[in-house]
Amino acid sequence: MAKESKNIGVYICTGCGIGESLNTAKLSAVAGEYPTVKQCQVRPCLCSAEAHLKINDEIPEHLLDSLVIAGCSPRHNPETLKFGNILTERVNLREGVAWVMEPGHEDTQLAAEDYLRMGIAWTAASGLPDPYIPDGTESDILILGGGITGIQSALEGARAGYSVVLVEKEDRLGGWLNHWHDIIPVSGSRETHLGYFLDEKLEELEASGLITVHKNSTVSAISGEPGKFHVTLRINGRNSECRVGSVILAIGWKPYDASRLEHLGFSRHENMITQADLETMAKQGGILRPSDGKPPENVVFIQCAGSRDEKHLPYCSNVCCLTSLKQALYIRRKYPETNVFIVYRDIRTPGRNEHFYRQVQGDNRIFLTKGEVSGVEELDDGSLRITIGDNLLGEPLSIRADLVVAATGMEPNRSEDLHLLYRKGEGLPERKYGFPDSHFICFPYETQRTGIYAAGAVRTPQGIQDCMEDAGGAVVKAIQCIEAVRRGEAVHPRPGDRSYPVLSLQRCTDCKRCTEECPFGTYDENEKGTPLPNPARCRRCGICMGSCPERIINFDNYSIHAISSMIKSIPIPDELEEKPRVLAFVCENDAYPAFDLAAFHRHRISPWLRIIPVRCIGSINKIWLSDALSAGFDGIMQIGCKPGEDYQCHFITGSELMETRSENIQQTLQTMMLEPERIKTVFLEIDEYHRLPEIIDDYLETIESIGPNPFKDM
Amino acid sequence: MIEVSPDIAFIEKLQAASGSQLTTCMQCGACTASCSLSADQDVFPRRQMIMAAWGMRDRLMADPYVWTCHQCGDCTVSCPRGVSPGDVMAALRQEQIIHYSRPRFIARWMQRPAFLPLVVLFPMLTILLIILMAGTLHIPEGPVDYSKFFPHGWLNGSFTALFILSTIGAVAGLKSFWKSASGIPEAPASGRWLKIIGRILWHRDFRQCTEEKSRSLSHLFVFWGFILLLFVTFFAILSTIFFNYPFGFLNPVKIAGNAGALLLFTGSTLMIMNRLLKRNTLRSNYADWFFLLSFWLLTVTGILVEAARFLDWSHAYHIYLFHLILVWIIILYYPYTRFAHFLYRTLSLLLIGTTKPT
Repeated sequence: MAKESKNIGVYICTGCGIGESLNTAKLSAVAGEYPTVKQCQVRPCLCSAEAHLKINDEIPEHLLDSLVIAGCSPRHNPETLKFGNILTERVNLREGVAWVMEPGHEDTQLAAEDYLRMGIAWTAASGLPDPYIPDGTESDILILGGGITGIQSALEGARAGYSVVLVEKEDRLGGWLNHWHDIIPVSGSRETHLGYFLDEKLEELEASGLITVHKNSTVSAISGEPGKFHVTLRINGRNSECRVGSVILAIGWKPYDASRLEHLGFSRHENMITQADLETMAKQGGILRPSDGKPPENVVFIQCAGSRDEKHLPYCSNVCCLTSLKQALYIRRKYPETNVFIVYRDIRTPGRNEHFYRQVQGDNRIFLTKGEVSGVEELDDGSLRITIGDNLLGEPLSIRADLVVAATGMEPNRSEDLHLLYRKGEGLPERKYGFPDSHFICFPYETQRTGIYAAGAVRTPQGIQDCMEDAGGAVVKAIQCIEAVRRGEAVHPRPGDRSYPVLSLQRCTDCKRCTEECPFGTYDENEKGTPLPNPARCRRCGICMGSCPERIINFDNYSIHAISSMIKSIPIPDELEEKPRVLAFVCENDAYPAFDLAAFHRHRISPWLRIIPVRCIGSINKIWLSDALSAGFDGIMQIGCKPGEDYQCHFITGSELMETRSENIQQTLQTMMLEPERIKTVFLEIDEYHRLPEIIDDYLETIESIGPNPFKDM
Repeated sequence: MIEVSPDIAFIEKLQAASGSQLTTCMQCGACTASCSLSADQDVFPRRQMIMAAWGMRDRLMADPYVWTCHQCGDCTVSCPRGVSPGDVMAALRQEQIIHYSRPRFIARWMQRPAFLPLVVLFPMLTILLIILMAGTLHIPEGPVDYSKFFPHGWLNGSFTALFILSTIGAVAGLKSFWKSASGIPEAPASGRWLKIIGRILWHRDFRQCTEEKSRSLSHLFVFWGFILLLFVTFFAILSTIFFNYPFGFLNPVKIAGNAGALLLFTGSTLMIMNRLLKRNTLRSNYADWFFLLSFWLLTVTGILVEAARFLDWSHAYHIYLFHLILVWIIILYYPYTRFAHFLYRTLSLLLIGTTKPT
């Protein structure tokens, strides 16, 4: 928590070109103006071991309780410039000023002085976070779903030394594998024969003393937060309670409903089946025509049956091609005189599977071609005449098929099976195509519920091999989460962050904005609608802080007051000086590193810009905008990650929220009688750093054209 | 609409003849992209490759496009799956020759080494029989004079008669081919045939190959050598009837004949060398070697026969008999060996109208 008074030590580095570009003595004098600054030193190389030792000595000597280190970007030397358990603020003079502005220029010096003031102001208003560590955390991992992903997750968890509770709704483990006749060759497996493959895993499962298996069981409720989830299980019809640290959702998939394939007339034709039907049929011993029980002589596989089709499943399910190849091969082994035709849009056999594809192609009675099924006609004996158009022969093909197999895609099972007792719903919020995975580029297995990780086919359509890899990844995430909670730290994307939102509930108006807007379901509610925070569910993005109209949500080291103090610490030159000032709230995840990259490339950034890093642009509270405008800033930029379908927001919905909030912000501008251009939102990708100078200069031109902020000098 | 009913035996036959695992073709079209014969709308040879992998025998037997290919190897080199489309096209042409041959069994003899003794013995015994009938079945005394061993009248008469016989077979096969192949959508363009013949005479399309540049040259040598010798033979036959035969060494016809022999020898030797050196891009099966080696031996024995006469060698008549057997293999078996390509290719090109849209 922030203390009443501070003893701040300010250290200014002159290395890496800072000393040549800036008048550090003048900077030091600026720091000296603050009575809270007890010690101010200019040193040549703060990242050296010598400098580190010296500062460590000076902390007790001057009774310092916080430090302001003015040097390189906070993204560099985070470990070197850490001085034990003491609040440390980094002022970015190198990438923020010296490398991007004209050396020795008056405006460059002003920018550096402003950044130093902002750093001191922030430090004065912030405190070291007091971490939230729930009492009696659990380290068990709950795995929901006993298919290959669940089994592999349990094994991986146990191998890492964690106790695992594995819940399976059926009376045996194995999931779909119990219904399969054979599997696609799995690389690295001793024996890809399905029997061996599963038995081997089940043996290890039984031998492990750390895995508790509940068959015929479901989860009927999960409440609490990571580290202490309260789980109610329904085991053989009886309720049972347990507590776990984190959860892996491995509930798998279901085949796409083939009866919806009207263009193939699936439900009308008895001899048209799905891949799953064929597999079960083969498992039971006979591959026979459903209509008359005769062995088929010509089998046609139709790939992408409802996949990669906007009317059905818009995505590729990854395994249907390989499954058909596998099935073609075992049909051929069973019936040496049978022809198998595979009609595909593109055959997809990534990686080592290409060898398998080739192996199958080597069979002279397996015929593959690109094409679209343009007609299905049932003949008198129940056979189907399949017409294939859009092929590579330039004219339609016609095949008389005894048996037709539709390769339907995979749909995720519903995550509502988790029965979360969360204010925001029982299941996981669905992202693209209905899968619960939240940010597949940077954080696989992540869902929008902290401590709950999706793995296997429920996360993304995939085969056994990938499911097993998923299992390992999700277990690592689950373990990281348990251990982070025990230390009172956040998980990705802010690992190690010990701050958490603190609410002054006496001023809460129960507006529910925080509960609604938190992407991670951190807040439950009491009957009045007052938020009940579960800090371990929190990812520390600050979106709730940005949303709160009463400004009652703050972090110890990221508060409305601290940022406001930074804004107010900046002296605004009067209109006659013709030095406009633009404040930029810059997302720490991608946009701030982009500024650093721009600095590495020595791009020029206007010295009229003042940057305040924020955890997410969704965490920008409206009050900061009005503070900045009242202070006389001519314009405000909010630079964050891309929203939308291919969002890059590290907190998933932060950028989206910023878009929806902008209407509200424009109203604020209206009430202040200001032009809408005074606030500009920019979505930037990290590799677009080279655009930054242009973006900023363009905005400054806009500001110039609308003139200075009328609130200046008021 | 193509009714799919794969002919597995046909796929196996093509695999055996071409040595290609042709079903592992992934239909990417790299062959078409690299083929200088493939036009914008015509996905040659991918279309044929797919048909081959699907065992579409009827379609492929009626396909004149396979005859546009010179087996230059461009596609084979660029194929990412290593299924050698060029060799598959060669196998398809071979299958067509067998398919349209009348009678078909003679063509089958030419494909299998087991029949080689039969293929050689049949002409040998027939020739000896004719000589026996002529009453000259012995090694003649005195300076070498081949007409003493095989009188010109008997030779010209019997060989011409046999040539007419095999040509009847060839015509029957070609008629059947024309009938099947004219089912292709492109109608023969009238008035273009002269242009097409011109293209063939100068190997214009053949010279488009990039992988096997030398093949068009060696073929051009053999082609013109053979044409030259064809005229020479015609004059020789006329001479045996109306003039003095054999010609003197400086007779213009003799000079043309020797030039032709030189061209044939150079060309066919180059071909053999090429096939030995380029075994990766140009697979040669028994039928290829049988035809090519017979051709080379025909040329070599022809030269030796001439030399033996001038130098008065004692084994001249044995060489002569051997040469006559080779003449039979090349000239009289022509509709059944790889030699038939000149008929099918010319006919196909006329049928398609042109090898390339101009």
